[in-house]
Amino acid sequence: MSLISLHDLTRRYPRGVTALDGLTLDLEPGIIGLVGANGAGKSTLIKILLGLLPPTSGEATVMDLDVRTEGTTIRQFVGYMPEYDCLPPDTSATDFVTHMARMSGLPSTAARERTAEVLRHVGLYEERYRAIGGYSTGMKQRVKLAQALVHDPRLLLLDEPTNGLDPAGRDEMLALVRRTGTEFGIAVVVASHLLGEIERVCDFLVAIDAGRLLRAAPLGDFTERTGVLAVEVEEGEAALTAALVAHGLLAVADGRTVLLNVTEDRQYDLVRDAVADLGLPLVRMEQRRQSLEDLFRDEVPAGAAAPAPPASVGGGGPA
Amino acid sequence: MSASGPGGSIFDLGYQSYTGPRLGRQSAVRSLFNHTIRSCFGIGRGGRAKIAPFTLAGIAVLPAALAVGFAALAAQAGPAGGAIEDASPIRYDSYHGLISVLIMLFCAAQAPELFGRDQRYGVLPLYFSRVLTRPDYALAKVVGLMFSLLMVDLAPYLILFVGRVFVAPDPAMGLSDELGAVPRFVLQSLLVAGLFGGIASLIAAWTPRRAYATAAIIAVFIIPPIILAILSSQTSQDLARAVILFSPADVLAGTNAAIFGSLPDSPVVAAVDLPGWMYVAAAAVGIVVTVGLTLRRYLRIAT
Repeated sequence: MSLISLHDLTRRYPRGVTALDGLTLDLEPGIIGLVGANGAGKSTLIKILLGLLPPTSGEATVMDLDVRTEGTTIRQFVGYMPEYDCLPPDTSATDFVTHMARMSGLPSTAARERTAEVLRHVGLYEERYRAIGGYSTGMKQRVKLAQALVHDPRLLLLDEPTNGLDPAGRDEMLALVRRTGTEFGIAVVVASHLLGEIERVCDFLVAIDAGRLLRAAPLGDFTERTGVLAVEVEEGEAALTAALVAHGLLAVADGRTVLLNVTEDRQYDLVRDAVADLGLPLVRMEQRRQSLEDLFRDEVPAGAAAPAPPASVGGGGPA
Repeated sequence: MSASGPGGSIFDLGYQSYTGPRLGRQSAVRSLFNHTIRSCFGIGRGGRAKIAPFTLAGIAVLPAALAVGFAALAAQAGPAGGAIEDASPIRYDSYHGLISVLIMLFCAAQAPELFGRDQRYGVLPLYFSRVLTRPDYALAKVVGLMFSLLMVDLAPYLILFVGRVFVAPDPAMGLSDELGAVPRFVLQSLLVAGLFGGIASLIAAWTPRRAYATAAIIAVFIIPPIILAILSSQTSQDLARAVILFSPADVLAGTNAAIFGSLPDSPVVAAVDLPGWMYVAAAAVGIVVTVGLTLRRYLRIAT
């Protein structure tokens, strides 16, 4: 069973804004990160998956159910945590989550039992009987997650779950998301514009920009394209570059840093010797991981200009 | 992780999947309908939420309870009592005039809470991402409000009815005397609950801010009768006749007079002298239109 399948999915808003532009994608269950800048189309995609917005053209299925015709069935098995505030302040977490469980079609006894269990899982204990208005942002985010989980969905759609949280709150929320995906066996789609966060919880990453697919791949593919060595010197970077090129290495100077492609261990010795021979003041040598930030810095302009081939991830060094 | 004691052990079994029944859309709609009625009376909220609805409902039944008590006393006075009772101002046909302001206040107090709260706090996306659809949500709310109004409006009639049956010298005779009024007051209550509820729903659905919604609901019921009274007294009745069907309070005064075959207690309704069925038709159209527009609002509302 494919979890989510999109084929040439396009969504245009009445005023001519194209939120999604020919998205084609096949996703298997797991923890899936959906990254993109604000306005990239993340929330629109989530709303289409929920059957709340009809696609302008193209196909979308969730658990092999068509979003256009089987929205009600899909929503029975999907939990949704919106980006913005969505909690009435004058109700207790218990009452609110129970009510939401009933709205998902659970019988009343089951709704109460599931509420107690889910609130415990998200880490709300005694305070769950108090009015939500008095909760901290972190507690409110937990209630939002609880209401999305209460009917035991097969798929959880989280829109910016760490919105408004302090660093400690972010860590806790991300751990909770991770636990939901791994221990509870629920497929999760996490939308975020914060790459560093997504990187910590997801197995699979989908990057979109301006409604187009930049790349969809397991997280490892995004982060493990190493092989770029950065050598920072206080002076003489041109001489160093020339020396390395003379030894047959691919090297370019980038400010006071020389970036080069390292393919075997012997080449580290070459670099060391070159620096020593030239008597250059070496500041640092580091293995550059192809970070997600690099991916975005380089890919976004290219992707906006033309549909980038999904495999071409330039990164910071010569490929 | 487990904790043991003399009575047994508690195990943390981790996350449990839910394998029980999922009752689906119908159950969700029914549950929202019940929830709406409970919220209408402040049940499941704090004590303060109960003050307005229960005070208004209490005042609404008070005259009926007094009338029944008074009738019981009058019955002790023998034949003379019958004359006293007939002169009572608290009758089926006069009751609408006595409590229509209370029903209006009930709407103004509760409808903004029912419709505005979910919009104000952004709760709608949580509903619409579940099994119920937008029209399901809107209908459950509108019909829930109407049903609550029906209870408040019908209760005093029922008290009056039961009281009069038992106060009568022969309850069986009393029953046959009073039974004829039942379809009349049920119909009037349905029209009152439908039209007041429909208008209050429409206004509250469009006005998430509570105070504005309350003010707007009161205005829609209070201001047109004042304008009509001025028109009716200053100009010919033609102008008043043309606009009276757009004044909800006057329409319901008209239906009341038509249904009970009594003299209208509103002088304007008496003055314009329209046939009774026109008021009933206007009320029915008003209900359909306000419910339709409320549904439309929820179909289009951005979430």
